[in-house]
Amino acid sequence: MRAFHVVSQMRVVIFSWEYPPRIVGQLADYVKRLADQLVKSQVQVYVVTYHDYLTGGHDDSDGVKTIRVTNPVRTHIGVLTWVLTLNQEVERVAANVHYNVGGHVDLIDVYDWHFIPAAVTLNKALNIPYIYSVESLEDHRSHGTNSPFNMAIKSIEWLGMYEASMLQVKSKWMQDEVLRTYKVPRDKTRIISPESADWIKEVLENYSSVARGTVSR
Amino acid sequence: MSRNLSVMMLSWEFPPRIIGGISPHVYYLSKSLARNGVKVYVITCDFPNAPQHETIDGVEVFRIDSYKNPSPDFASWVYLMNVNMQKEAAALINSLNGEVDIIHAHDWLVATAGIGLKHVFRKPLFATIHSTEIGRRNEIRSDYERMIHETEAWLTYEAWKVICCSNYMISHVQWAFGLPTDKLIMIPNGVNTEIFTENEDLKEPRRKFALPEEKIALFVGRLVYEKGVHLLINAAPRVLEKVNAKFVIVGNGYMKEQLSSLVKGMGLAHKVLFTGFLDDVTLRRLQRCADVSVVPSLFEPFGIVALEAMAAKSPVVVSDTGGLSEIVEHDLTGVKTYVNSPESLAWGVTRVLSDDGYANWLRTNAFRKVEEKYDWNKIAQQTKDTYNAVLNEYSRSFWAQTHRTN
Repeated sequence: MRAFHVVSQMRVVIFSWEYPPRIVGQLADYVKRLADQLVKSQVQVYVVTYHDYLTGGHDDSDGVKTIRVTNPVRTHIGVLTWVLTLNQEVERVAANVHYNVGGHVDLIDVYDWHFIPAAVTLNKALNIPYIYSVESLEDHRSHGTNSPFNMAIKSIEWLGMYEASMLQVKSKWMQDEVLRTYKVPRDKTRIISPESADWIKEVLENYSSVARGTVSR
Repeated sequence: MSRNLSVMMLSWEFPPRIIGGISPHVYYLSKSLARNGVKVYVITCDFPNAPQHETIDGVEVFRIDSYKNPSPDFASWVYLMNVNMQKEAAALINSLNGEVDIIHAHDWLVATAGIGLKHVFRKPLFATIHSTEIGRRNEIRSDYERMIHETEAWLTYEAWKVICCSNYMISHVQWAFGLPTDKLIMIPNGVNTEIFTENEDLKEPRRKFALPEEKIALFVGRLVYEKGVHLLINAAPRVLEKVNAKFVIVGNGYMKEQLSSLVKGMGLAHKVLFTGFLDDVTLRRLQRCADVSVVPSLFEPFGIVALEAMAAKSPVVVSDTGGLSEIVEHDLTGVKTYVNSPESLAWGVTRVLSDDGYANWLRTNAFRKVEEKYDWNKIAQQTKDTYNAVLNEYSRSFWAQTHRTN
């Protein structure tokens, strides 16, 4: 297990395929709020996200460091191939963060399936643990259809859950769905409640236990 | 560097999984590099009954769990397989304390895994481009084809050096992806002469294919349009006016029915033999028996079959195109004929079959050429020199510095 740097600031890299100004659904605003709160709690936060032309790193005025990547392969036949070629750019910039801070990234918090391949590779290569924060599941999005396309996304979700140090969900219902769909052990999951006053405290506790390597896997 | 140079090969095929030319290429290259003191790890797709990890001729082979659910299409399968390949290769390099100096990817089929590993470990990436989407299809027509084309371009962009097996492919790749000249390196494909050296009496195997008084004119390849088998068949009557010969056609392909009815229509059924697919041992013997080996291709990026014939000491007649133009020197190591011309082909074949002295001159020169230029050991040495030159450049980069301070 890697050493947790008690004296220094905790350093977290968040992966999310949407972040303001790119807003697709509700995830962008949530991750923005999370990043703000983490900065206020003395956590050093990097957000790695996608944008088609606003690419590169930026120190935002709120203290969040954002890095936006675009897809080197411009033509695609669907969201699956688009995601799978975007992951190498996510790996590239996340590895740059890792090397630039002397290897002291405490954990990655990855939102939904899109950047799971990058999180898994970085974990295997550089021993950076990750939390898979489950916003939604392909089983719900695909309404029961099980085409090869849906199965591919499910297999990525499964990989993400299998290799993660912890799964964060936002409700008891989603916890039950994750357990039902992917048969993960219950004690690998944590429920956080974005509406409660203790929300950021719960997130920080989860981050700390993953960074220290004290979560049972 | 006190320890040996160490390279990780990424290839979607490796024996016993053989789909095309990449599998034997990576096998012989890796084996010969290992013999030259390079530590080689091959990461490849799994195959029924092949072990997950084994050491073959000094090469450490790891077979990854390739994606086995039904896939929407081939390209999606490739990208999904690469997720697993990258994950398992990353774990391996980590377990070796990062002691892999170079990542070497073969074709776009392992592009994403290679590019990702390059960045997470900050190691130089090599790419060998065996073939391109635009070359295979002649043009880019659909989004699917363009996506593959752009993935190939991305791989060559990320690679420190791009290797091609012929000057023809160098100029093709340079044109297709707009690469700077000094990024491209030509290292030829090799041929293993040892596979043609068994001490077997060839009279028996020869009798299966031709009468003792017939000369054997051999074609080996897929029976598809660009291989030009129809040209050889159309050349046959002209050849038969001068010499008694049997045309032996080895291989399968979509043109098989069409070609055999062409032969019947020409009244040549007794002079042209379609053998279908032959096992390795039988094919090697037949190549050694052949009085002439004909490669009448219309399009040929490299032309390994001509090299094999030369290694088997069979005189070659080729069409003057692509990689074949480079392998064969006219009147010295073989005969070059005009592309897409049965007349020219008939002239070349007749010339070799009717003059034993000339045929022997070609055989001797061609075999010497193969040993000089296409020997795997020399090709491995060239590849190793290129690795070392890049590592020397790399050692002065800031990537190398970050590794030292960590």
